[in-house]
This record gives sequence, C-alpha cells and structure tokens, in this order.
Amino acid sequence: MSVPAVEVTNLTKVFPVSLRKEYVVAVDNLSFQVNAGEVYGLIGPNGSGKSTSMKVVLGLMAPTEGETRIFGVSSRDVRARNDIGFLPENPYFYKHLSGAETLKFYGKLCGMRGRDLKDRIGELLELVGLEHAKDRRLGGYSKGMLQRIGLAQALIQRPRLVILDEPTAGVDPVGSRQIRDLILKLKEDGISVFLCSHLLEQVQEVCDEVGIIFEGRMRREGKLEDLVSIGNQTSLVLENASSELVDKIERLIETEGDGAELVEKGNPRTTLERMFIRIASSEKQEKEEN
Amino acid sequence: MADSEPANQKPAGRTALISVGRIWTIAASTFTQLVRMKTFYFLLAFAVLLVAAGNLNILFSAVEQLSMIKKVSFGTMDLFAWLFAIVATALLIPRDLEDRTLYTILSKPVLRIEYLLGKLIGVLVVILLSLVTMFVIFSALLHIRTIDFLHTEVAILEQAGRSQEMIQAEAEAIIAQGLRKEMWVALWAIFLKSAVVASVTIFLSTIASSSLFTIIISTIIFLVGHASQMMIDFWKDQFVDNIVVKMLAGLFRIIVPDYQIFSFYEGIILGEKVLPHLVWSMTGMSLFYVGVFLLLGLLVFFDKEF
Repeated sequence: MSVPAVEVTNLTKVFPVSLRKEYVVAVDNLSFQVNAGEVYGLIGPNGSGKSTSMKVVLGLMAPTEGETRIFGVSSRDVRARNDIGFLPENPYFYKHLSGAETLKFYGKLCGMRGRDLKDRIGELLELVGLEHAKDRRLGGYSKGMLQRIGLAQALIQRPRLVILDEPTAGVDPVGSRQIRDLILKLKEDGISVFLCSHLLEQVQEVCDEVGIIFEGRMRREGKLEDLVSIGNQTSLVLENASSELVDKIERLIETEGDGAELVEKGNPRTTLERMFIRIASSEKQEKEEN
Repeated sequence: MADSEPANQKPAGRTALISVGRIWTIAASTFTQLVRMKTFYFLLAFAVLLVAAGNLNILFSAVEQLSMIKKVSFGTMDLFAWLFAIVATALLIPRDLEDRTLYTILSKPVLRIEYLLGKLIGVLVVILLSLVTMFVIFSALLHIRTIDFLHTEVAILEQAGRSQEMIQAEAEAIIAQGLRKEMWVALWAIFLKSAVVASVTIFLSTIASSSLFTIIISTIIFLVGHASQMMIDFWKDQFVDNIVVKMLAGLFRIIVPDYQIFSFYEGIILGEKVLPHLVWSMTGMSLFYVGVFLLLGLLVFFDKEF
C-alpha cells in the first residue's frame, strides 16, 4: 500500500489564553489520513480547528501532542515541504511583483532555475488563465486573479500534495467553477488534494473522502457516498414509470411492507450541508444539556 | 487547460541544509520590494541637498565650505542608513505575516534562518548601494568644488601679490579638505552601524507583532547605544568590586550595542589618520553584534507559530 499523502495521528493543539494557566483546546486528539491521489475535504464551522490542523500539517505550528506526516516525512522536517503546494485563504502576495515574477520567486524558493522554471511559469499562467496579466503587478489584480495566481504558485514545483484553505473564498461563481475543475484535473493527474472549505456543495462535488470537524474533534469521517447515504432507506430510481406502476408499488408497500413505509417519492437523498448542520446542532444541543 | 505533471514525477527542487540560492532569492525579492517602494527618492533629495550645501559660499571660507560639504554629506548618509535600517527592517516581517505571504513562503522548502538572513541581506544591499551612490555623488561634487576653490583662491592670492609660500599653504589646506581614499573607511563605518541596527531590529520584529513597537524600541536602543560605554564605566566606578554589577554590565554590553565604536568616522572625514586596528576592531565588533542578534532572532523565530 502506498504511503499516505497526509497522516495526522492523535493531533492535539492547545493554546494558552492568559497568564493564569488557562488554555483553549483547538484540536483534540484528531486523526485522519489523506491517501495518495485522493481529494480529502475537511469541513467544519469557524473555530472548529480546521486551519490549526492545516497549519500543523504545513509545519507552521508545532503540535502539542501527536504528529503529522507528509508522504511519511514529519511536517517539522523542511524536506516534507518539497512535496507540498499551499494556497492560503484570501492570499496576498508581494504587490510589487508581477504575476510572472511571483511564480519565478516561488519557483526559485523550490530550487527551480533556468529553462525548466521558465517553461513551468508559462505552463501555469496558461493553466490559470493569466497569461494576459503576467507582466502586471499584483497590486492591480482582482481577488479572483490573486486566487488563481495563488493556485499557480502552489503548483509551481509540481507538488504531489496540494493543500487548499477555502480555495473559492471571495471568488465569483465562474472562478469558483474553474477552481473546481482544476481540483478535478489535479485528481485526474494523481495529485493528492487536502482542502478546507465552508462551501459544502463544492466539497461534495470534488471530494472522495470527507472529515467533519467540530470543536477540534473529528465527528464523522469516511467516503463521501457512505456519508451522504441514509442507512435505513432505500431508493428505487425508476425510469419511464407510469403513475399506475408507482401506485401499485405504493399499495404493495402498504399491504406487504412488513413495517416499511414510503418516506417520499422522488430522489430521497440528503446533502452534505444538511448532514453537517444536523451534526453541528446535535453536538451543540448535547453540550448545552450537559 | 495545459496538462499538469504526473504525480509520480519527482519535485523540481530538493532541499539542502542551508541554501545560498534560497537566501539570495529572498534577499533579491526584499531588495526589489524596497526599491519599488520608492526608496531611492531619498537619493534624489540627498543630491539636491548636497548641491545646495556646495553652493552656499556666502559666509564661509573655501576650507570651511569644503568641510561643511563633508559634514552635511556624511551626516545625511549616516541618518539615511540607520533610519532606513530601522524602518525598513521593522516593516518587513510583520507585513509578510499580515498579508499571509509568510505562509506561502514557509510552506515551501525554506528554512526559517534562510528567510531571516534573506530579509536582512536584502535590506543591507539596499543600504550599501544607496550609500555607494550617495558617496559617488558626494565625491564628484567635492572634487569639483575643491578644484573650483583651488583655482579661485590661488588666483585671488596671486592677484593680491601674496608670497608663493602663502599660496602653497592655502592650496594645501584646500586639498587637505578634498577627497581622500580614507573616506571609504568612513562609509564602511556607516554601513556597519546600519548592519548592527538592522540586526537589532530584525530580532525585535521576531518578538513584536507591531512594526511601530519595533521601530520605537529599536530607536531607543540606538540612542542608548551611543551612551552605553559611558553608562557601563559609570556603574563600574560606582560599584568597583560588585560581581553582579560586572555581570549586568557585560549583559548590557551585549544587549545594547555600543554605537560609539563607529563615531571615529567623523574624525576621518575631517582629515584625521585612519588607525587600522580601530577599523578591524569595529568590523569585528559589528560582525559579533550582527551574529548575536541574528542568533537571538532565529531562536525566537525558529519556534514561532503562525
């Protein structure tokens, strides 16, 4: 079995909030892994510990307990970052650099030089549709353009893992769709993607596996299809069924259903968003009761 | 859309322990950032100031005027260097953090020491180039004014029928106030001072989250540093055999750099001889201070969480 792209094991992160030995547990014994070539979505409300977990994975923060690994290398080891491309939420890059200069800067940081770097810059500018603005300084870029140049810098050294924090925050629907397509393209090319997002519909569209985090703890995790299916319900999807046939089936359920009942007609399915809200509110209710 | 590379392809760059290339990339970007922040407008102001000072020949004699040009020029270079070292350095790291540019840099295979060194070198390169440019402008103006004064004064003295000895003495006095190669040492002293100021500031900016706080504390350390030796001597005189005071004085000497070690450049520009041992000791002390503050900065920055 191949080495996971991201491996988070019993991660706990505690922040001191004052000098009186008061602490906030931002992440509590969190474990999950992103398999190589998979798109993994970590979802949760603000303050649930998503960004903290992501920062620990990136080596920007140290874990209080537990560990995180990138392709088997500890996140604390700078070599782990050879394989990572990261796009933060609402990124701002050096405004004094142009789009092409920005990519050159990040490419050089990754040890790229000469023809290889030049070709890669051209390739990525084309990929994110910013060839026309490559010589314009980033100070004059729109939010969507910044997001796209951010994606390009994340991909500059051909990373095996791309980490995206709210990749479509503040981006218009068209830009948002482009980013979604790009994530699917990365997946197609075998690149692992680890993303945090509030836009649950989008997570549902691109992710293979999803983790729901709430108050620093993993509440649900698994394959997307398993999470969104309703265990005790069965859907029959009929094509070209006459109303007589549907009535017949309904009568059959009534007479020989043995306790089974028809919940709704159509396509009985939940959405990730509905499930997420259900989990979040039940956790909150539980907490209030205690 | 263009094709992305297959995932099993090796990443383009591999991480060495400390990479000069990465340090230089960050330094070059810092340099570009500072240059595009219109830093060099200061040089234009400097040139205007110099030309103005060089043409104020109403009240002074030739020797006095040449001396004034040198004092104004080196005073301005000194002011520019330490002020720029504080302000520019104090802005760099907090701005990167605020804009989250730091996240994207440190999530690449970049060591934190490479980032700090790159930022410091970038600032120092801007200061060095600015100082050299100012020195070249100053040298050209001083040379032109020296020749000008020499011709004018000699002509006046000859017209007045003065003796050859007197004319010779006046000419030598004017030449003595002209350009001397020792002035490079004065420029070196100003640069080293700014390097120490920048390293103190970069250390402070790893602790503080506010640029203003860093600027204020760094300026206070700079001002106190001009009197640090005097303060240490005073304490030692007051508490001759007190070991605690001696230790505190030693610690104070490290925490607050002695900026007086750079002040001998003022004598050089006025024509005093350059003592090589002073230059070596000043260079050594400067490297020591830069090393200490960089190390302290790294100790803080190494475990800093973003």
